[in-house]
Amino acid sequence: MARWRALYGASPLHLMAVIASFAVAGYAFFRIFDTPTALGFFVWFGAAIVAHDLIAFPLYSLLNLIATRTLGGERAREASRAVPALNYLRIPFVLSAFALLLFFPLILGLSADNYEGDTALSVGVFLERWLGLSAALFIGSALVYAVRVRRAHVDARREAEAGDAGGGDDA
Amino acid sequence: MKLPRPNLPRPRVPEEPPPGPTRPEFWRSPLRGPWLTSLLGSVLLPLVIVCAVTGFLSQASYNPDLGRNSLLPSGGIGADLFFFTWPTSPSWIYALNQGLHVTSGLLAIPILLAKLWSVMPKLFEWPPIRSLAHLLERASLALLVGGSIFVFFTGLLNIQVYYPWPFRFLTAHYYGALVFIAAFALHVALKLPLAWRTLRDRGVVAPLRADLAHTEPEPYEEGHTAPLEPGPPTITRRAMLGTVAAASLGAGWIAATQAIGGPLRSLGLLGPHSTKIGDGPNEFQVNKTAAKVGIGQAETGAGWRLKLSGASEAELTREQLLALPQHSYDLPIACVEGWSTTQRWTGVRLRDLAAEAGVPEAKSVLVESLQKGGALRQATFAANQIADEQSLLALRVNGVDLSLDHGFPARIVVPGAPGVHCTKWVSAMQFEVS
Repeated sequence: MARWRALYGASPLHLMAVIASFAVAGYAFFRIFDTPTALGFFVWFGAAIVAHDLIAFPLYSLLNLIATRTLGGERAREASRAVPALNYLRIPFVLSAFALLLFFPLILGLSADNYEGDTALSVGVFLERWLGLSAALFIGSALVYAVRVRRAHVDARREAEAGDAGGGDDA
Repeated sequence: MKLPRPNLPRPRVPEEPPPGPTRPEFWRSPLRGPWLTSLLGSVLLPLVIVCAVTGFLSQASYNPDLGRNSLLPSGGIGADLFFFTWPTSPSWIYALNQGLHVTSGLLAIPILLAKLWSVMPKLFEWPPIRSLAHLLERASLALLVGGSIFVFFTGLLNIQVYYPWPFRFLTAHYYGALVFIAAFALHVALKLPLAWRTLRDRGVVAPLRADLAHTEPEPYEEGHTAPLEPGPPTITRRAMLGTVAAASLGAGWIAATQAIGGPLRSLGLLGPHSTKIGDGPNEFQVNKTAAKVGIGQAETGAGWRLKLSGASEAELTREQLLALPQHSYDLPIACVEGWSTTQRWTGVRLRDLAAEAGVPEAKSVLVESLQKGGALRQATFAANQIADEQSLLALRVNGVDLSLDHGFPARIVVPGAPGVHCTKWVSAMQFEVS
């Protein structure tokens, strides 16, 4: 058993599970292989493997890095900004971008002919609705941010006043 | 006699990882770690199970063993997997199945993306391959990541009728799902114990209670995803997971509103079928307009006949059909794309038409449409679907004649059947005894 582990790197059960899984996946790939558009399938499947990890992840991480460096965390606190704006921008942005990611064909009208022919509905409404949703998200976030900033100011002033009253002896 | 030592492969990669993402100190997020991944994974697990089960059931709902119903390439194992006759009761069974399929899929997408983010350091782990077991597991993870994105996004684009690819959607979505589910099952089997242990040790709710000042990174362990040199936290766990939950529930809401339909439909915002057409008797959601499939007055006017065949043959005018006993039922038209709409349909029972064709005990019926092309210009129904009293060749809806877009002069409405089988512009019905 120890020699098996040294050779394979896990228990024999692991190998059995892996083979069972690959057998099912292999069956599916073979079925696809018999279709006239197999090449297209494998190209798109390959693209799906790298789409998040090697394309989307570097892009959104870069955006997040820029946002964090300029708006968030320690630097904002050092600048004595009581409430960092970072998340009030980042959260509505993520939600708005996510809605676009899910429904970009309708929002951008990419499938307009197909969609309108199928449903007898207009595709134009989706851009408006997405813009409306985005506006609502950012306005809502801005309102919460404004309230928090205001409250932080009031708290700071009260603390300062309490500090002044308590420090009367020093005057 | 001494046994020879196993011939271990010598490491060919340097022990020290090159600078960049292969080094543990590259990854700074204080939120990333096994707890976060375990929590996301345990929410994803039931959603994927529901989505997969309803997906395979959707395949069964076509009764793929009948006629030309199977939309998959021929020759699969058990065409593929299913051999039971789809029921007609409850009449909303297909609406529920597809509603669950699309809703669970949309709920899962943001959680899947968050989970992919949470395990990014694993992609760059060093050394890249430790053993044969590790190599196989990583190959399977490529299928898992690729399969999940492929399946979820092909489904997502299908409900928006956007097809930027060269392959047939259904075949690719089905076999892509098989690859994904195979890799998913392996992944769950290998990782569930770790997820269980992690959530048991750290609790499900406890880490969500911490505010920003108390948001501590998970402890670093070699080979796991918690950061070696965490940066300062910029968001709490609850805010980060709250954002993911908002995205998930928002997407699920869009899917659920158009699956339920009725007054909820107009609240679906970005749902493909969230726009109300109107209040008139024929103003409800359409799948494929007459104009799109090239059907007009010429084919559907006074010259239209329904060709019935079975033991005998007959050609019936619309007036002759209206003279047969008429029955009305509230039945849903439910689309494979996850939306449904319930209307009051009036028409002739399929079993009456079977008797008219001289085969009252018909085993199946092939229904054909005036539609020229497409795999779904025809459908075959099973004996239980012909026998159900609610199965109609509908001539009227909500008290008026069908509109052209809803299948005038006559369309099929069978309780529990997929919407694409509720054939519009019916031209011929061929009843079979066996």
